[in-house]
Amino acid sequence: MTQTLDISDADKRFARPDSSHAMAAPISATPSKFGTFAITFSIAFPLLYTVYERLNWPLFTYHPVLGIVDFGRQPAGVGPPMFWYGWIVLAAASALVVGAIATTIPGPLLRRATVFCCALAALWPAALEALRYFIVYMATFDADFLNSAWVAAIPGFVGAAVITYYFPARLADRLWTSWLLIVPIVGLVVLGYSLLQPWFLR
Amino acid sequence: MNFVTSIMREDTFWRILLFVHFLLAVGLLAAITLQAVAVLMPARQVAGSFSERSPVPAASYAALIAVVYVLQALMGAWIYVKYRTYVRIPMEQLRHFWTVGSFELKEHVVTMGMGLLPAYWYFWRQPLSAEHENVRRWVTVFLALSVWYAFVVGHVANDFRGVGS
Repeated sequence: MTQTLDISDADKRFARPDSSHAMAAPISATPSKFGTFAITFSIAFPLLYTVYERLNWPLFTYHPVLGIVDFGRQPAGVGPPMFWYGWIVLAAASALVVGAIATTIPGPLLRRATVFCCALAALWPAALEALRYFIVYMATFDADFLNSAWVAAIPGFVGAAVITYYFPARLADRLWTSWLLIVPIVGLVVLGYSLLQPWFLR
Repeated sequence: MNFVTSIMREDTFWRILLFVHFLLAVGLLAAITLQAVAVLMPARQVAGSFSERSPVPAASYAALIAVVYVLQALMGAWIYVKYRTYVRIPMEQLRHFWTVGSFELKEHVVTMGMGLLPAYWYFWRQPLSAEHENVRRWVTVFLALSVWYAFVVGHVANDFRGVGS
């Protein structure tokens, strides 16, 4: 009896909530609404930030010398323009909307939509680059009309739809939280690569 | 700003801000590093079905880390105005391109980390989900690496033109 009580006491002593590993209590496999929002926001934000930075779509431009803010992307006036704040605010606002929508749709659909969006984010710029390569090196006619983000959207969307259709549902489920790491790491690779020429290889 | 410049020189004001930014960075660095170490080094199994407690109460300060991370990012965004006009232009003129490039990457790294904070906070909520243990670990490590990178690059930029330079 004494031993039983001791073990019980030891259990209480060890089962404090500050242990990060073994004492983790399993919770439901389906995240709460807040969990769905938080995870979706954290996947969408880095993805959208990378897209906005690469397209140079800031919500506003800050001119530090004049101390004024202009809507959208504005050219340099007096002193350098700053777009970083504008990319962040636009990405955060967009990710908020995406996160809010995510809480209203069924989980399996959300996981498939995540695969679609990530595939689209990869295929759309890849298609644009492929079209530009085609225009410069392969086209035997005036193909300048193909040099458009909207033309590249067509193969991008089709490719992403095909990938999503054939993507196994179980893999989409298992991969969902992994996008939290895949998206920012790939985003940083893309953004880091864009810095090579202007700064690191100069 | 007029109120501040009536009390002290503008340069002094920015240097004080930079120093507070540094102090917060040290605190954040310590907290996130301890947490990352705690998740990377699982508690040892001891006799019976119990586990030794981790020496660091990792879950208890996840919210604090998230708050300080946001505060740091906001403070960095404020000081960034001065950096863009007062530091980066001479940096370019003196051809310190690696420093400028590293600082540009720092902006992106910190932004990515900030985007991960809602998920990070969710994964560290009590009770901790065993199912999310792996993603919790790597999100924490990602944040720790982002803070370390930002700290080192910020320090190099400070050495070019900042407190004590």
